Amino acid sequence: MRLLRQFALVALSALTLSGCATLNVSSHVQRGLDFTQYRTFDWGPADALPAGDPRLDKNPGFLDHLEGAVEKELAVKGFERSGTQESADLLIHYHANISRRIDVNQLDRDYGYCYDETCGALVFEYEAGTLVLDIVDAKTNRLIWRGWAQHGVRDVVDNERRMADTINKAVKRMLARFPNGL
Amino acid sequence: MRLSHAGTFAVMVLLLSAMAGCAPVLLGSYVSPGTDFGALRTYNWASTESLATGDPRLDNNPFFHERVQQDVEKELAARGFEKIGTGTPKLRLHYHASVSQRLDLGGTNLPYRACDSCMPFMYDTGTLVLDFVDTRTNTLVWRAWAEESLGGAIDNQEWMEKQIDETVARLLEQLPRGL
Repeated sequence: MRLLRQFALVALSALTLSGCATLNVSSHVQRGLDFTQYRTFDWGPADALPAGDPRLDKNPGFLDHLEGAVEKELAVKGFERSGTQESADLLIHYHANISRRIDVNQLDRDYGYCYDETCGALVFEYEAGTLVLDIVDAKTNRLIWRGWAQHGVRDVVDNERRMADTINKAVKRMLARFPNGL
Repeated sequence: MRLSHAGTFAVMVLLLSAMAGCAPVLLGSYVSPGTDFGALRTYNWASTESLATGDPRLDNNPFFHERVQQDVEKELAARGFEKIGTGTPKLRLHYHASVSQRLDLGGTNLPYRACDSCMPFMYDTGTLVLDFVDTRTNTLVWRAWAEESLGGAIDNQEWMEKQIDETVARLLEQLPRGL
């Protein structure tokens, strides 16, 4: 019985830990800024850092879903996409970064899947994807808001439906943190 | 404070243990022997180099970078240093910030069972290094560094700002006495 329990725990860990299945979202904002002055946006040029990853940057499915999700969410918040970069109040760009990270069974412990000696120190590496969304004041060229969403990439990058789902959730949660001046 | 060996690091490492289970703060500094800080009272920032910090949330993040610079400027002003915009200052400053993962063995490396459910765990640390370069000789005359665990201090903007404030204060406390 103990063996079966151990096996079940290992199987559960493999599932939970397969790519860190939680979505972490946060942001930084320019304080004391009147966000009601911004009405229109357009996509603008991205700076070099943070570095992107070709698995995402060169993935047309990813880019399509991302741009669509951002435009839809901004429209919901009352922003209009301007015809040209020159006439936009805000310029938006993103960075899609993938970093290798190490975990030592922490997620299993956090979620209560193991708690005593059966929870060995299972060390494994996973790839964490960070989507960074930068919003720049077009006139001052200053970054006024940065949002990010982090999620393991393993099960997401290869599965288009799951990727679209994750992007939608990520963009929605990120932009919920953008001060809606309207 | 005079150094006994020319050119060697006089590393003052202060290990401050924070809360139980948290990683210590590592502090250190280096002074180039024979540096006369009395003559080096004006400064400006070197052109901001864009090196990756190792964390995409902080790369090219003005909220992070400006807080570091403002805090350093405030601490230096309080110590009588003057930031000058035109002409050549005596000192040029730059800093490096990096984030990495560290492993804490959590007591599992002890020869006896100190605790029944000891577990190793990973945590994120941030390292901030501040350099003072003498513009006349173009050499490093002072460097201070601090490494501490981050917890949620990137995701939470106020927490990040507070941690930057404290870290910069600790860095500049290491300037030679009298400054």
